Amino acid sequence: MDSVLRALAMYLALMVLFKIAGRRSLAELTTFDFVLLMIIGEATQQALLGDDFSLTNAFLVIITLIAIDVGFSLLKQRSSWISRLIDGEPTIIVENGKLLHRRLRHARLVEADVMEAARSSQGIETIEQIKFAIIERNGKISVIRQDPEGG
Amino acid sequence: MKDETDHPDLHSRQFPVQEDMAFQLKVWRFEHIGWYLLVLCMLLGLLGLFSRGVLSSQDARSDDGKLQVEYEMFHRNGSTNPLKLSVHATPEATVELDIGGELLDGFSIETMQPAPVRMRSSAQGMRLWLQADAQGQATLYLTLRGDGLGLFRSRIRAPGSSEVRFTQFIYP
Repeated sequence: MDSVLRALAMYLALMVLFKIAGRRSLAELTTFDFVLLMIIGEATQQALLGDDFSLTNAFLVIITLIAIDVGFSLLKQRSSWISRLIDGEPTIIVENGKLLHRRLRHARLVEADVMEAARSSQGIETIEQIKFAIIERNGKISVIRQDPEGG
Repeated sequence: MKDETDHPDLHSRQFPVQEDMAFQLKVWRFEHIGWYLLVLCMLLGLLGLFSRGVLSSQDARSDDGKLQVEYEMFHRNGSTNPLKLSVHATPEATVELDIGGELLDGFSIETMQPAPVRMRSSAQGMRLWLQADAQGQATLYLTLRGDGLGLFRSRIRAPGSSEVRFTQFIYP
């Protein structure tokens, strides 16, 4: 019984924690983020398994985690409200070459983050060349280039 | 907050994606409040609300001051913490101690040092006989491992002296 409860509690706790951390936190993995993720995994593993290293316990934990995950994806399919709650929504942060500063501040981003995404995905040099930059639901910044005749 | 949402930067856009800024602002507020909660948890953790710290380490004495228990108020399931029992008695005598209440339900005693002269079960739990030294002091060190969950009320009694009651909480 306790392995199912452990997995359930850990899944929900991690979900809330990563919601608090925001979608950007681990979207662009730096080397340090990668190390951080591994440490989090290490700390989680102990709590998930307790002192029971049996196959049965491991199976139970994995089955529970996958079942919750599939359950949530089914729920998301049924209800757009839940889907929005869990996955969030895309947010525009650059509109026609202009940064939306208020939004950047709330999203804990700076111009350099936007320009980095613009350079790496579109080869864009200045902010004026960006038509739209959008924080996607997965935390990545996607950039749409300004049409040459329009900009 | 009202003038904040009125700022044109924070109006919902319909193109290229459908936005709901009211919802997004709520998400950001949740992240913001959540951050404060995380810091609060961290501080409480440092203070010992989740075991081992100023808030957790407690000291209980019997009314006559002869019996003293140093214990951790907060435990975690599966982890071990010390408990120290000190009794003041007549020099070189054998002191009798009753450990009862829910202590033995919630915890398993991993170590007990020094070994008591005698030990037996009693109606309330466990009865120990300790050898006092030349000054009449007897001390017993226990290592407790939290096995249960929730609140456990325990009492330790030395016959002829008043008892010490203490409460411990085990986190999952």
